[in-house]
Amino acid sequence: MARYIIKRFIYMLITLFVIASLTFFLMKLIPGTPFSTAGKLSPEQLQIMKENYGLDQPVAVQYAQYIVGLLKGDLGISFQFNNVPVTQLLLERIQPSLVLGFQAIFFGTIIGIVLGVISALKQNTWIDYSSTFIAVLGKSIPNFVFAGVMQYYIGVKLGWLPVLFWKGWDYTIMPTIALAMFPIAITARFMRTEMIDVLGSDYITLAKAKGASSFEVAFKHGLRNALIPVITVLGPLTVSLMTGSLVIEQIFAIPGIGEQFVKAITVNDYSVIMGTTLLFSFMFVVIILIVDILYGVIDPRIRLSGGKK
Amino acid sequence: MKKSKYSLLLTLVLVLSVFLAACSGGNNTDKKSDGAKTSNAAQEIKILSKSEIPTLDSVKTTDEIGFNVLNSINEGLYTQDKDGSSVPALVDGEPEVSEDGKTVTFKLIDAKWSNGDPVTAQDFVFAWQRAIDPATASEYGPYMMNGKIAGAQEITDAAVAKKDFDLNTLGIKAIDEKTLEVKFEKVLPYWKDLMAFPTFYPQNEKFVKEKGNAYASNAENLISNGAFKLAAWKGPTAMEWTLEKNDTYRDADAITLKKITFNVVKDNNAQVNAFEGGEADITDILSSDLVPQYQGDERMVSALQPSVYWIKMNYKNKALANVNIREALAKAFNKEDLAASILNNGSIAANYFVPDKFVTTPDGKDFREKNGDLIVFNADEAKAAWEKGLAELGLDKLELSYLGGDTDSAKKQDEYIVNQLETNLPGLKVNLESVPFAIRLDRAKAGNYDLLHSGWGPDYPDAMTFADLWLTDSPNNEMSYSSAKYDGLIKKAEEAAANPEEYVATLQEAERVFLAEDYGVAPTYQRADNILISPKVKGLVALPFGPNYSYKWITVEE
Amino acid sequence: MAKEDMKISKDKFAPAILDASLGEAIGKPSLNFWQDSWLRIRKNKAALVSIIVMLLVIILAFVGPLISGHGTNEQDLKRTNLPAKIPVLESVSWLPFDGTMVRNDGTVVDVYEQKNIDEYFWFGTDSLGRDLFTRVAKGIQISLYIAFLAALLDMLIGVTYGAIAGYFGGRLDSMMQRVIEVISGIPNLVVVILMILVFKPGIMSITIALAITGWTTMARVVRAQVLKLKEQEYVLASRTLGNSHSKIIFKHLLPNLAGVIIINTMFTIPNAIFFEAFLSFIGLGLSSPLASLGTLIDDGFKTLRLYPHLMIFPAVFISIIMVCFNMIADGIRDALDPKMRD
Repeated sequence: MARYIIKRFIYMLITLFVIASLTFFLMKLIPGTPFSTAGKLSPEQLQIMKENYGLDQPVAVQYAQYIVGLLKGDLGISFQFNNVPVTQLLLERIQPSLVLGFQAIFFGTIIGIVLGVISALKQNTWIDYSSTFIAVLGKSIPNFVFAGVMQYYIGVKLGWLPVLFWKGWDYTIMPTIALAMFPIAITARFMRTEMIDVLGSDYITLAKAKGASSFEVAFKHGLRNALIPVITVLGPLTVSLMTGSLVIEQIFAIPGIGEQFVKAITVNDYSVIMGTTLLFSFMFVVIILIVDILYGVIDPRIRLSGGKK
Repeated sequence: MKKSKYSLLLTLVLVLSVFLAACSGGNNTDKKSDGAKTSNAAQEIKILSKSEIPTLDSVKTTDEIGFNVLNSINEGLYTQDKDGSSVPALVDGEPEVSEDGKTVTFKLIDAKWSNGDPVTAQDFVFAWQRAIDPATASEYGPYMMNGKIAGAQEITDAAVAKKDFDLNTLGIKAIDEKTLEVKFEKVLPYWKDLMAFPTFYPQNEKFVKEKGNAYASNAENLISNGAFKLAAWKGPTAMEWTLEKNDTYRDADAITLKKITFNVVKDNNAQVNAFEGGEADITDILSSDLVPQYQGDERMVSALQPSVYWIKMNYKNKALANVNIREALAKAFNKEDLAASILNNGSIAANYFVPDKFVTTPDGKDFREKNGDLIVFNADEAKAAWEKGLAELGLDKLELSYLGGDTDSAKKQDEYIVNQLETNLPGLKVNLESVPFAIRLDRAKAGNYDLLHSGWGPDYPDAMTFADLWLTDSPNNEMSYSSAKYDGLIKKAEEAAANPEEYVATLQEAERVFLAEDYGVAPTYQRADNILISPKVKGLVALPFGPNYSYKWITVEE
Repeated sequence: MAKEDMKISKDKFAPAILDASLGEAIGKPSLNFWQDSWLRIRKNKAALVSIIVMLLVIILAFVGPLISGHGTNEQDLKRTNLPAKIPVLESVSWLPFDGTMVRNDGTVVDVYEQKNIDEYFWFGTDSLGRDLFTRVAKGIQISLYIAFLAALLDMLIGVTYGAIAGYFGGRLDSMMQRVIEVISGIPNLVVVILMILVFKPGIMSITIALAITGWTTMARVVRAQVLKLKEQEYVLASRTLGNSHSKIIFKHLLPNLAGVIIINTMFTIPNAIFFEAFLSFIGLGLSSPLASLGTLIDDGFKTLRLYPHLMIFPAVFISIIMVCFNMIADGIRDALDPKMRD
């Protein structure tokens, strides 16, 4: 196992390097400069700005400089936020996104599992249909609608929860609910289908024959076997939720990273795009590794390392 | 096996709760201050902003919220009064103007920085030189100074040509600690207004040099000489900051407001919800979608802005180089309906490029009175001009691309305008393109478009800020418009700057030539801004240029 | 309950003919996999109803613009923001189809009367006076196109990629996983912006952007399932019997994968629909006046409190479509499941 993880770790570095390089060159294909939003620059002035930031150099040179900086742990400075180091920006902005993403995944998964298991046990009854309906509706209605309506009715009209801002635990409730809709839906749906599969297996029939109740069977024997697709999907989903959601962060005025990232892309803030991409990819690659390892833990029959057959 | 599974789950829950507690702690004190709002007379307000402050270094600031905050915490030689006119701030009495009108000598009053240092003439020299210094990479420095302050253009030119330059050649000199001499490139009728603009604010040389790169990076690294001081601001990425009354301000007795808290809320609907939920006293500018909801509500304040929008027609396109085609396009859409139904926020149809209620002529009338409406919607005339134009070009149909605007309601406006153009001009096909902000500006600069919906907001109250856009060599022309007659008129106006009547009359003639003869652009509308303001907050002033609001005169009533 | 009823006469019984050859006969008609599935899906009422509703929605999407009498971009500022009004239904007081709207102060006004309009706009009109019914119908077409496209890409690229990676494993799998990581790592938006620079903004750029990035989740889900399934006894059996790899994948693994494939598709579809809406939200989506359900919801949401009909109608349709898709998917899943054959 240790050898496998070391090998994956090396792959990880290569993958990150490839992602960084590809993103860098793709980004440079997009016309415009970080100063393109400054409408009042004269062409001469623009030239001076480019020189000041080394953007007048050939792309290959800029790339080399970027990689060298990267190896030193320097992610560069943000253009839109007057020279704030990208590392500082990411550190400041990632925390609220991490908290929200974690809460959404945690509660979303639990609720989703319960809904899915109930659905499977009561297959094709009204309970199953309404559980499906809830799960699907959570996904069909865009979360900005959900968040906006919640903010108005629960926050403004009823005054039960803070309307917006990021000042304490109660401020996280509404954004968490809005973000949790997707994990709830996806967990519930996968859980239902896998559970139905598992419940038809021989060993479940055996457990039932031994007199186990259906809920006992479901949670004791079924759950584990139904987890494979759920963790496959939830892994990357965790990363994307933790790296922030433009819409939710904007609606609830949360100082997160998602909204920054989208803005950075539309205004060509190169170093912020690169920094966020690297952070995102790093988390993604690590989570995928964890998921791959978990496959073996959940189902010992799965062998990944290959070659060992 | 069973045991380990549960203990794992238990650990997970524990870790989670510790994690959450750690994250949510610390800020609890903030919430308690909410209770203070019951005492209505507290001179504290909460304001919403749509964006963070990218920088508070006055020579680098370019955005509205930055200007608003700078205007509250700093002051220059002049400042905008309640009616938008420029009145003396740091300058003592009327300055001395040389005979040719190009050199002005200011006497400074005894004002103090918030660290106790006096504000000196050298602080101005230092700030202005920083603003023009290519190493500072300021956008507004060269933009505001080139062609206006003596020596500015030469410094920029030398930097581009990679030649040596001397910042001391900039036309600003400290005669002594309290006497400042400024040399203009030409006679500037609006120099007082220019001096009220944040780019021309002083900076404390000692403080800036001491802080180096950290200057203005957060509240601790910034000092002020204005009505307020920055009490808390963690830097450009901060989504919350507070201003407190500055006791060392020259006119501190006139300031009632004790504290302003700003919060960044980027979503328009969320801003309104925050306002309704009592989280804010003043919102940022409402998107036009939300305005009808508050029609007739006393909490909504509408102000006509001197920003005008138009469709630029690119002369590089052969068809658009034809004046009849341009006339047809400019007359073919109903702008009254556009303003009244689509925008529906107090904006008015523009038949001009120098805005209404922006500048007054020496005889006390509005600049607009003489020229009136220059390009009015008229479907019949548009069609006639269209057919004539097509005949001249030998075409029977035309396809044009249209780069949409970048304001919040732009999509709706553009859909309407395109539909109107296609309906009223038979044989015209317009392809509406939407691209990201940076790409749009890049294409505009490169002249890579046929039609472009854009606008201009003034930086000083003079028709010239609009009129010089269309000069052949203006970087903001962006459509290859070049007319010797127009260039001549603007030159003539500049030369006549010492004579206000002739100056204004020449600019009015230039506007007429550009629109009514050349159909240079197709004006669409003049914008109005709407904000929500709590009834207990009195004295918010909307300013016509530079910063859009001044908080100096605000008082909170019962 | 009379006792006599229990009496059964002897002649009701006849001795069975003992014939060993008949013991091997199959009583039910021989059905192949697909016939069998169809039989079972017919029994699933929810799925059947959903199929019918779905068909109605598709018919509406294509016939709607023809019968509404309005174009998608037919503007008229004299009739902006009209609420919904449908003949017959207008007299049913609890339905929102009577052409009235409630003002901020609580008064109810008949907007049609106010603006002097005799025509009926079934779903009302938008801020440019365009018929919302026509726009919703067109929007369904576009959203369905994006939905089917996303599903197709998922099936073709995602499933094949995942199945190959999972089945062969080892170095090939490792390589293929790294490729997925790279594709997922590059920001979607950068890809989309490049696409609209190359192909101009519009449905084409969105299609290609989806093709490049949309299938990775499916590939990973299928790979995970294959990793699990390939160690099962029946695969081993099949391999021992000398079956080819492709036969094992298509005959044995795919039917068992049906469940996760279908469920995952059900998530790819709304993701794709809302990805398109998100692109419109940041100004990169379809060129106006084309509008998908996603963009209609997006626009309608901005004026939700004033003109709720602008968001509610597209939202109701997207929800109907999604619920139907999922019910059908569940039906198909149950029907295809080889373990559930009766």
